[in-house]
Amino acid sequence: MSGAARVGLTIDGRPVEAAAGASVLKAAEAAGIAIPHFCYHPGLEIEGNCRMCLVEIEGYPKLELSCSTVVREGMIVRTSTDRVRAARKDVLEFLLAEHPLDCPICDKAGECLLQDHYGLHGRYAGRMAEVRERREKKIPIGRGLILDRERCVLCTRCVRFLRQVTRTGELGVFERAVGSELGLAEGRPVDNDYSGNLVDICPVGAITSEDFRFRTRAWFLDRRPSVCPRCARGCAVVVESVTGYPLAAGERRVYRVTAGVNPAVNGHWICDLGREGRREIDEGRLGAVLRKGVREPGLAWPGAVAGIAAAVRSVPAAERPGGVAVVLNARLTSEELALARELFVAGLGLRNVFFAGLKPGRADGLLLTAERMPNGRGVLEAGLSPRPPALEALAAARVLIVFGPYLTEHFEAGALGRALAAVPAKFLVSAHAGPLDRLFDAVLPVTVPAEKAGTYTNIDGLRQGFSRAVEPAPGVVPEGAVLARLARSLGLDIGDADAR
Amino acid sequence: MPVSPNGLEVLVRRYRGRRRALIQVLQDIHDRYRWLPPEALERVAEALGVPLVQVYGVATFYKSFSLTPRGRHVCTVCLGTACHVRGGAAVLEEFERRLGIAAGRTTSDGRHTLERVNCLGACALAPLVVVDGHYHGQMTPVKVGAVLAAAAKDEAA
Repeated sequence: MSGAARVGLTIDGRPVEAAAGASVLKAAEAAGIAIPHFCYHPGLEIEGNCRMCLVEIEGYPKLELSCSTVVREGMIVRTSTDRVRAARKDVLEFLLAEHPLDCPICDKAGECLLQDHYGLHGRYAGRMAEVRERREKKIPIGRGLILDRERCVLCTRCVRFLRQVTRTGELGVFERAVGSELGLAEGRPVDNDYSGNLVDICPVGAITSEDFRFRTRAWFLDRRPSVCPRCARGCAVVVESVTGYPLAAGERRVYRVTAGVNPAVNGHWICDLGREGRREIDEGRLGAVLRKGVREPGLAWPGAVAGIAAAVRSVPAAERPGGVAVVLNARLTSEELALARELFVAGLGLRNVFFAGLKPGRADGLLLTAERMPNGRGVLEAGLSPRPPALEALAAARVLIVFGPYLTEHFEAGALGRALAAVPAKFLVSAHAGPLDRLFDAVLPVTVPAEKAGTYTNIDGLRQGFSRAVEPAPGVVPEGAVLARLARSLGLDIGDADAR
Repeated sequence: MPVSPNGLEVLVRRYRGRRRALIQVLQDIHDRYRWLPPEALERVAEALGVPLVQVYGVATFYKSFSLTPRGRHVCTVCLGTACHVRGGAAVLEEFERRLGIAAGRTTSDGRHTLERVNCLGACALAPLVVVDGHYHGQMTPVKVGAVLAAAAKDEAA
């Protein structure tokens, strides 16, 4: 196969080049000409069942499916002639003839292809005088997914995803014609670790997520890209949060994390673990400096950093290398790790710099890696060695600074408590409240990855920069700011958090 | 005929791993048992390596597959346009009356299954009835008794 072969064709009067073997739809898309579709999805095999992507091709008597027609040299394609427009209108009319039009209560409203296409290509007056077919509207199909058979347009994206990507094949289309509907085999619900993608790829509101249903509207959400911090793959994610009006007590800030597109890493999919990452952005967060596990009202983070600096200064410079111990983690960005190296290794010359982290899990062969920290490679790149913490070394320290709540992953609570009790001055820098909080003199609340900008290097060595996807929660600062301020307080010049 | 794992195995064996043979294997099973028992569908999915829902999808798509046990004699009454116009409905009613079941059901003794279809493609013979594969054209309610008797005689022979 000559992958590099190019084919020249004309689409809507414009000369277009496309790779040999590409579909007309893809060639048009690459040229900036959008062709409406439902069943086509770039991450799935072509099915050609929705008939929405019909175009006119010179020399063909009938309209052709642009998703399944391969480009040929000299092909002349027209995507917006009267004939094409009329065909789209008819296809939409057929699809909408059996659609419940319950947009006001549908969670897909605002990001629904049926709505979008109707607005752009439909605009006909409804002619349906007949009663619409009633179908089941709330079928739990597993993993917190709800199927609404009335809204389904039978594009089979979900069916193909489960057969081609996860290879679990839970969903299928049963019966035929007007009786066709999506279904499960009895007693075999959707149960795979990529189930959340079904909600992303459903072009209409047929598959929705219990976690998102009826919580907010799509148009209130601010969507910003980030990199998933929940394993070492570094998948592109989109953090969808509400901004612009004050949140009521207990209201969610981040409504969902959805899959971003990155052909080099995750294609179009993310795993459910990454999707559930929305919880750790909002839930269980620390919002104020704690002293011995109790909120200290008057103390802001600069004061707490001053406390750390004072403790470090109380150790004579000559005794610092062994007397001050630090536990870092591989959730820190590469920039923060560089600061940490400058401060703790180069600046203070510490011998005891450890890395704590989540225990490795199971790799699933698709995206999820066994390693559950996002920047393990970044640690190596920063010139740090990822030594696991040694309890004796921690207990022997006169000052202990711990980043992240991960020590509990390494040690049993009793032993850890006893070891920490022996340390005269100890500080925890963490985004989430946890059992460690009351064991430390002070706890500083910091950002989660979605709230900061930085770089992670994934398991394959791919360096990925990301920007802040959601404003930091009240009262928290990035670890980088803590490190920079601590260095300044100690009279060390290590640059600052923003230096990339 | 009761469904036995061995009996199924014989039918499924030669299609093992051949995803495209799904319809053939379902036809073989249907020929033998006159319906598609759930355990057969599971066995087919496993042997061919296709998801169970896909097997169900095909099995429910085609009218010639039944997911409930069918009688020894299958009576199919056509109610397509031509048959309908020429009195197919009255023929169907007569079948229902004589067999004591509604269209789509099987008699409790397992002898007869009555089906209605939308067209058998032989409109010149309207109204048309097919009993055990034998076509009976130009049917009338009066002929129903004779058609059923002929089927019973075939069984006895």
